[in-house]
Amino acid sequence: MPLFDALYNFARWLARDESEAEDLVQETFAKALRGFGSFTPGTDFRAWMFRILRNTFLTSRTGLQAKLTVPLEPEVAESTGVTRETPESFALASASREALQSALAELPIVYREAILLCDVEEMKYSEIAEVLSVPIGTVMSRVARGRRLLRQTLASERVVSRGHGKSEQER
Amino acid sequence: MSCQEWQNRLDAYVDEELPPQEMEAFRAHAADCTGCASAALALLEGKSATRRAGQRYVASAALRASVMASAIAETGTPSATRIQTPQSRVLSWPRWALATAALLLLAGGLFLSINRYRQPSSLAEFADLHVADLASANPVEVVSTDRHTVKPWFQGRIPFTFDIPDLQGSPFTLTGGRVTYFHQEPGAQLLFTYQRHFISAFIFRDTPQLSISGASFVDHSTSFNLQTWTQGGLRYVLVSDVNPDALRQLANLLQHPH
Repeated sequence: MPLFDALYNFARWLARDESEAEDLVQETFAKALRGFGSFTPGTDFRAWMFRILRNTFLTSRTGLQAKLTVPLEPEVAESTGVTRETPESFALASASREALQSALAELPIVYREAILLCDVEEMKYSEIAEVLSVPIGTVMSRVARGRRLLRQTLASERVVSRGHGKSEQER
Repeated sequence: MSCQEWQNRLDAYVDEELPPQEMEAFRAHAADCTGCASAALALLEGKSATRRAGQRYVASAALRASVMASAIAETGTPSATRIQTPQSRVLSWPRWALATAALLLLAGGLFLSINRYRQPSSLAEFADLHVADLASANPVEVVSTDRHTVKPWFQGRIPFTFDIPDLQGSPFTLTGGRVTYFHQEPGAQLLFTYQRHFISAFIFRDTPQLSISGASFVDHSTSFNLQTWTQGGLRYVLVSDVNPDALRQLANLLQHPH
């Protein structure tokens, strides 16, 4: 079951809890087996499986809470590009693995799932749109905005940690 | 198109989601615009870093077994068989046989669907590590052409050891090494030079998480050549832009270090 690992990783990032992620994966495979007749051969099997998992998560207690705390997001295209060469634009590339994982975990769910599907699972926008049941334009907006939030979080943490270092030296 | 307009499209560019003519137009623009080129590079590196950081959790073998068992039980329950598919009305096979067939079909579908992503993706990640390393300010942590300096440096830093061949008389030069990580596993990265090219040799314990098999591979998206093999419980992966013959020659030296 090669998709098993990818689904589990995605479930852990969504639920942020080991036992809940295990339940999600169990339920996803059970639902996939029960509904295998609804899968259209020739269509994207991976997107189908991820959509089942994601929908299962959204109906879980954690998922419902996450949906209630979703920030207002501009779903239309906006200026999300990296602005020239700034320390912030390199914050993602130069962050430690731990800092990046922590920033990713703190992202609002709508951006976290988009980033995971795009950057970690390397899905195309059309595939992500299928998993999330949203238009491609929304996927583009969420991916770009999610990356920008990650960069901002990592850049601000770096400033804070530098500030701490400085104040400790001054003492 | 202005820089601001291009920069609003950079995410789609690094995700290879722009129309082909726009992809080409941006490359032409970036050749003359260091600001946009630099911003694209930062996004590409950020995407790679996110991919590595995002591959964080590994399911237990117990969960895998449990899912398999539950799936079989699930398809065998009355509630499941109440779903009247055309097949179930026609066939009167025992439930266990239908359950097994469904599971095999699902597993087969999963395998076919993901196999085209998984193998190149795992190996392509080594190309990412190689590029990221060369782009960093300090590509190696131990700087030495002496194998008797580089090998002992890894003691206590990685949970295994390996041999480095004597490269005298060969066209390769050892530059140094560093500790690297792949799927949360620590490993060694040795850097060699061949003429003016760099070759990375990644060495990891050969665990199932690596999900790598085969011998050689060309990452068509980046044109890097990769050569991989296992030896003494270790997985070796060579990555470089040198020709495959040179890569095989270095592989042969690493396979026969004494």
